[in-house]
Amino acid sequence: MSYLIDTIMNIEIFAFIGLLVWLYFKPVDGDDT
Amino acid sequence: MKNPLLITALLITGAVAAWGILDTAGLARVASELVHALFKSRAWFIMLTVTFMLIVSLWLAFSRYGSIKLGKDDDEPEFSTVSWLSMLFSAGMGVGLLYWGTAEPLAHYIVLTDGGADAREAANQALFVTNFHWGLHAWAIYALTGLIIAYFGFRLDCPSLISAPITKVFGAGKFPAVAGWLADLLAIVAVAIGLGGSIAMGVFQIKEGVDAWLGLEGTGLGLMLTIFALLVTAYILPLTVDLSRGMALLSNAAMAIAGGLLIFIIIAGPTHYIMGGVTEATGEYFWNAFVHGFRTFTFMDEAAENWFHSWTLTYMVWWLAWAPFVGVFIARISKGRTIKEFILGVVLGPTIFSVLWFGVFGSVGFYAALNTDLPILELARSNASAITFYVLNSLPLASVTVLAVVAAAFLFVVTSVVSAAFVLGMFSSGGNLNPPVRIKLIWGGILGALGLVMILSDSIDAVKSIIALGALPFVFVVLLLVVCLLKALKSESVNAK
Repeated sequence: MSYLIDTIMNIEIFAFIGLLVWLYFKPVDGDDT
Repeated sequence: MKNPLLITALLITGAVAAWGILDTAGLARVASELVHALFKSRAWFIMLTVTFMLIVSLWLAFSRYGSIKLGKDDDEPEFSTVSWLSMLFSAGMGVGLLYWGTAEPLAHYIVLTDGGADAREAANQALFVTNFHWGLHAWAIYALTGLIIAYFGFRLDCPSLISAPITKVFGAGKFPAVAGWLADLLAIVAVAIGLGGSIAMGVFQIKEGVDAWLGLEGTGLGLMLTIFALLVTAYILPLTVDLSRGMALLSNAAMAIAGGLLIFIIIAGPTHYIMGGVTEATGEYFWNAFVHGFRTFTFMDEAAENWFHSWTLTYMVWWLAWAPFVGVFIARISKGRTIKEFILGVVLGPTIFSVLWFGVFGSVGFYAALNTDLPILELARSNASAITFYVLNSLPLASVTVLAVVAAAFLFVVTSVVSAAFVLGMFSSGGNLNPPVRIKLIWGGILGALGLVMILSDSIDAVKSIIALGALPFVFVVLLLVVCLLKALKSESVNAK
């Protein structure tokens, strides 16, 4: 059980890091990069 | 609802304050358990985040972006470099350095020697970790947050809000608007709870100073509440009138007292021992700091892990709690500087000063512990708040220096609360540079109530847990802001071509 909670709490972090990487490379309006 | 952000922020911080006043022990216990669980599973992430912030700051300083100005291209710095550096020290010093100067190195020393370490080696290690907690990583958090606020505010003409970079870079759509609103809310909560802790720490220290000065014993909660009432009275008035110049003067006075104290201890204390300690600590710190930024104590026993949670991780989260507030302050005084000047000044200047400060105060403590019969280690175990005064009492002119520390602690707390109430008022009124007096007074009241909660807990460990809980969510916001900055810089450089 403790592994499960630990895994869930860390998956949130992995997802957040993934989101940041995606946001960094995602073109935004008016961005010609 | 006229201002949903203000109302939500007041509800959250007000609820924490009410809970703490009604059931102080309950709040402290829940905060400690939650923080322990979060630290256990996310220690690696927190350490990677702060080290990442240091790497990004230094990279920005030496990259092609280093020459970009925090302002328009023809803006010049408002303050001379010396005066700017002095204001930076003052912003970051606060009451913490006065409180922990000797107490923190001794606390680590006790843990290390209790674990069987050699006394001389333990003193070295204790100074190193103290410097790590107050050095490059701490200031990189402030520098990057301040840089983001200054770049978006002065160069891209955004309001001074934590949400501004998010909506500027990702547009005003639904998701950026929600993310920005949450970022403002989390920043307000982190600053309010962090400052409440600062008030409590100031009160603990002033109480010990008054005890030492007047030779009182067993004064307890009564004296703390009297000091608290005096502090609240002293910061309410400046909130109702514009005393920004007066506040700067008081803050500089506190800084001058602290600087004078540092010089006094070098001269009046065991000078060769202190200077030897400073030299050793400087080399040890700058050589090992980077690698230490990746340490998570994963392969150590539970005692080492608990120490890591209650010191290193707590400090890192503590700096994050203060980041929106200190960031706004250092941004405001840095208009017209280049990114390189800004990063090098903010990261290196105060770090060098901190290494000197802890080298001096730590060495004088180790001198007493290792070379005299003074019971300083027993006191460090039982009452960290009294350590600074104990050290001063062992030197000449104690009645003057003890009073000076009490005055400086009082001034640091008053100026911090006045500035924090201003920043909170600004954040919760859409970035208004002149927030209404009514809103500043409300925040002054909430900060006082949060401070009272932490005073009632009468435990520095409880104060640390409550601050950490308030600040942990802000880790996510800071990283999102860094992405906004990197995207905006990339876009500026592409458009300039």
